[in-house]
Amino acid sequence: MPFSLSQPSRSRNPAPSKPGPHSSQPGFNSVSKYFMSARGRCPQSQHVEEAGVFPEGHTGCSAREPRQHLSPSQSRLTGALPAQDSGSSPAARWPPCSGGAGGEPTRVPSPPPPGVAGGAGGGNDFQWCFSQVKGAIDEDVAEADIISTVEFNYSGDLLATGDKGGRVVIFQREQENKSRPHSRGEYNVYSTFQSHEPEFDYLKSLEIEEKINKIRWLPQQNAAHFLLSTNDKTIKLWKISERDKRAEGYNLKDEDGRLRDPFRITALRVPILKPMDLMVEASPRRIFANAHTYHINSISVNSDHETYLSADDLRINLWHLEITDRSFNIVDIKPANMEELTEVITAAEFHPHHCNVFVYSSSKGTIRLCDMRSSALCDRHSKFFEEPEDPSSRSFFSEIISSISDVKFSHSGRYMMTRDYLSVKVWDLNMENRPVETYQVHEYLRSKLCSLYENDCIFDKFECCWNGSDSAIMTGSYNNFFRMFDRNTRRDITLEASRESSKPRAILKPRKVCTGGKRKKDEISVDSLDFNKKILHTAWHPTENIIAVAATNNLYIFQDKIN
Amino acid sequence: MCQQQLHCSISPCDRWSWCLPVKWFMLGRGLKRKLSDYEENMAGLSSAFDSSRNLTYPLKRQLVLNMCLTKLQTYKMLVEPDLHRSVLIANTVRQIQEEMRQETSQQPVNVCNGLGLHSQNYTGVDSAGISAQLLSGVNQQESNCCDSRSAEEPIENGLLMVSDDDMSSAISSILKDLDFMEDISPPTCLVPAGDDQPKSPENVGLKLEDDRQELKGAECVFGSFEISNSTSYLKDLAIDDIFEDIDTSMYDSDFCCPPQMPSRVPSATTEETLKTFPTCNSSSTNSIQICRTDLSELDHIMEILVGS
Repeated sequence: MPFSLSQPSRSRNPAPSKPGPHSSQPGFNSVSKYFMSARGRCPQSQHVEEAGVFPEGHTGCSAREPRQHLSPSQSRLTGALPAQDSGSSPAARWPPCSGGAGGEPTRVPSPPPPGVAGGAGGGNDFQWCFSQVKGAIDEDVAEADIISTVEFNYSGDLLATGDKGGRVVIFQREQENKSRPHSRGEYNVYSTFQSHEPEFDYLKSLEIEEKINKIRWLPQQNAAHFLLSTNDKTIKLWKISERDKRAEGYNLKDEDGRLRDPFRITALRVPILKPMDLMVEASPRRIFANAHTYHINSISVNSDHETYLSADDLRINLWHLEITDRSFNIVDIKPANMEELTEVITAAEFHPHHCNVFVYSSSKGTIRLCDMRSSALCDRHSKFFEEPEDPSSRSFFSEIISSISDVKFSHSGRYMMTRDYLSVKVWDLNMENRPVETYQVHEYLRSKLCSLYENDCIFDKFECCWNGSDSAIMTGSYNNFFRMFDRNTRRDITLEASRESSKPRAILKPRKVCTGGKRKKDEISVDSLDFNKKILHTAWHPTENIIAVAATNNLYIFQDKIN
Repeated sequence: MCQQQLHCSISPCDRWSWCLPVKWFMLGRGLKRKLSDYEENMAGLSSAFDSSRNLTYPLKRQLVLNMCLTKLQTYKMLVEPDLHRSVLIANTVRQIQEEMRQETSQQPVNVCNGLGLHSQNYTGVDSAGISAQLLSGVNQQESNCCDSRSAEEPIENGLLMVSDDDMSSAISSILKDLDFMEDISPPTCLVPAGDDQPKSPENVGLKLEDDRQELKGAECVFGSFEISNSTSYLKDLAIDDIFEDIDTSMYDSDFCCPPQMPSRVPSATTEETLKTFPTCNSSSTNSIQICRTDLSELDHIMEILVGS
């Protein structure tokens, strides 16, 4: 029997590509070298300590006694220069992250060459057209179907969505069809699984929601795909793998699984692999639980591909992907006296290239950049980004609308973008006193703040995203509108995700909100905006002009028009 | 001031649901009112605020303050309020309170009278009256000097007076509260109002309950982040009152540690510290364990008393 190697056309197991250009620079070891070993060699001061106890005079680590330690990542924990590690297999698997060339830990070196090739220019040189919509059309939306997060993977071939019911749905882009050159590959359902279940915390008599707050993909290293998904309390690492062959001809088992009596077997045979229908399996590989007292709002995978951070309202923890029973607390803003609490953490993200740098945003509109090399507990920031308040626009709600709901680094790593209630700001990491660009998303809402406060819409957390080349940014608004800003041409566009404009390859018409005076045709007035239809989650393909927009329970996919 | 009624009900499913229309519920102290009327009025107020019509700055401020306080009151009813929102609203309240405080310190008399006039002229301000009712509850319990003044002047002035003193203590209690479930961190973290360290675990539980009831009408929002309201049933029992004069010190060392050990390990909320189990007299013990310890001690005491 010839061994059949035919595979269904949909199954693709690409060999893992070489690490991207941004991680090819020689640099420091993975950040795991900063974790204390059980024996306790502090990489900074090289003091050796017995379990948990530091010798006197030890000043290498933070002033606070470290509370948790991660075990060493095998051979990587020596503080030696990367040259010594290059031979070992872990280094080959996880490329060393690029680091700054010594000097002050706070200095951000010049950005590496643009890591993302291709991709069309800004968001407005071409037209967007409808591609697909996923989800039910019913007017009555089940709350469990509301999409709560959207994320493309590193190659853009997979698109993951999480919903309030704890489910994760992954779409895969199909191969482009030669016979239909005008349509790009469509996204079809690849895998669906229940990631989180509602839990009951008996100690506090609280129900823990199963809503998926964030999904983050891991870079692909073998045929399987890995992603992290989190609800309010627990993070899970899922492995999604394909199976398209099965073995036939076992000796001890029948085809239907019944065991054979060994004494009845007279001849032996070798099982043969036969093709079968593609089956995509998702299995939880790690569960990171019990590390957060408050609700997790962000997770971010580090550029070393070994660690990741999870942030809740008051704390940020650093995890190793292999270790689930311990995490390292790196930021803690909880005051000794809860009475003094005035600020919470709203989002956190690792720098895309420097594995020691991360930022976190606060409810007061500030962003702190921390360098994990400076101390074990990064309570003191290395950089502090805050724009001075404009006294002329001060109102009772100024603080509430300044709360940052999302922070995202650019792909280049030079800029970061923050989203507060009314605007999107782009910051240069080298300039702390004000953003370099500010885009008003829906300034017409400024005069409606009291009503929005009353119906709680003022607390909506909008996300934002960059395109692959960092030349455009996108964020959502109300009435199923979403906005895109081209950073180079300074043009912006408002589009709507609606069923009406859902004909295949229909070009999206720009929308406009009338702020006052006479309403022109096709404009919509502020008072007729539907504040229940909000677009909070959007994602942009890492290399192409394909965007995914989550509108309540529907996922819209738009792409640029191919001429 | 006409008595108006507020109807309140909160369905557990309505927590911050995005898609469902947000219902505005309000809690009153024995006041009931048709929900639709209230909503219309509030909507009218908000849009009046937004269009800056007929509203002076102090009135706008008062309106925002009322909205904040009612929101915090609503959050208190929830099993698990949102810390982010509560912090934002508390900061807004503080900011308004600070402003009002500065104004009253500059013009102690004029502001009150001016406000009184304005608020009498302003029609449809049900919320002010309602919030006055809310805070007057606080006022009664606090029984501070504001009582006399609020009786003389219009309710809105009373509101002004009340808000200042009561709110500062209320805001303190919002954020302070019972970190029991939380970090087993150094005792400095965990200090009930005006408490000092050597309190024994049982009394800590009692004292906190007293504090809670004192400021019941106010916004003890942040406390519920650590201990949900549902655990209050253990403290509400107040069993210890009966046995206060019994010396149970000899049981502390016996009973505090063993019950804690097995229940600490599977505790879902401890995350950070590697400290060894706290000593039984440390005030940083878990309150549930305190209560359980209390109950087991009480069982033992009951057995002794009953002689079985």
